[in-house]
Amino acid sequence: MCQAIEQSTISSVVRDSAFPYIEGAHVLALSLSIGTVMWFDLRLLGAAMRTRPVWEVFEDVKPWMFAGFGIMFSTGALLFAAHATKAYSNGYFQAKLALLMLAGVNAAVYHLTIDRRRSEWGKAPIPPGPARVVGLVSLLLWFSVIAVGRIFAYSL
Amino acid sequence: MIWEFLQPMAQWLGNSSLGLWLGQSTDRIAWLFVIHLFGLTLLMGPTLVLGVRLLGIGFRSRKLAELARDTVIFRMAGLVLMLLSGSLIFTGGAVSYFEGEWFRRKMALLIVALVFNFTLFRKVTNAEDGRYSPLVSRLTGLVTLFLWFGVAVAGRAIAFS
Repeated sequence: MCQAIEQSTISSVVRDSAFPYIEGAHVLALSLSIGTVMWFDLRLLGAAMRTRPVWEVFEDVKPWMFAGFGIMFSTGALLFAAHATKAYSNGYFQAKLALLMLAGVNAAVYHLTIDRRRSEWGKAPIPPGPARVVGLVSLLLWFSVIAVGRIFAYSL
Repeated sequence: MIWEFLQPMAQWLGNSSLGLWLGQSTDRIAWLFVIHLFGLTLLMGPTLVLGVRLLGIGFRSRKLAELARDTVIFRMAGLVLMLLSGSLIFTGGAVSYFEGEWFRRKMALLIVALVFNFTLFRKVTNAEDGRYSPLVSRLTGLVTLFLWFGVAVAGRAIAFS
């Protein structure tokens, strides 16, 4: 399947001419995606914006965060298409996908459990233990995604 | 002219034992780039937040000065990480980086961005809401975003030229 992707027109256009621009957009959108999700994580940790209810911080960052991850996933998919076979078998790429999935699971667990009771704790300057764990895990996972992503680019 | 004046220093730095040590290992440079990107996230995320707040298109429920105060530690930490890792990356390939057109553009933009950040940007973001006219706020937001994203784009262009 990776070979089929690589033989597509889109793949060759990215490879031959658009790669620097798409990779540039992928890197710059870090500020929108991880750069904003980080605020929510820091709020969950009780390390920033303590006087603001948790849900308000989330509403503030939400549109920018979603826009950022939208750009990340679409540019990321195009970059993958350009070198699908090599990327697919690369350990760093596999690690990156695994970390992304873990970050997704972490966010889903938060929204399905702790966040449901946010009216009970959302105004506290320092949220309860489970919420802090989610914030910390999220920060660690996203920074690991950056690290393996960058090393991956070197190993191609 | 200024570049010719600085050239011997780049030469010296690139041929120093630190420069040679850094330059001989791809791994070392790769990890420095990881740190450089951590710094980018820390600096550019909040800067973008403040920029869109200045433009009046987001985070409107928050007071500007409050956002600036909440984010200043992270922005400064990001900036320090970027400057340190960037200096080391440069040291590892000083002579060839120094000749690059995009490297020079990046440095020129970076200096303007830093001056702007610590003068007008700081003044406007630390002021009470309503102290500066919307026009001044919007322009400050626009220039800030333009300068920092310009630095980032030029940085990316170095890798591809």
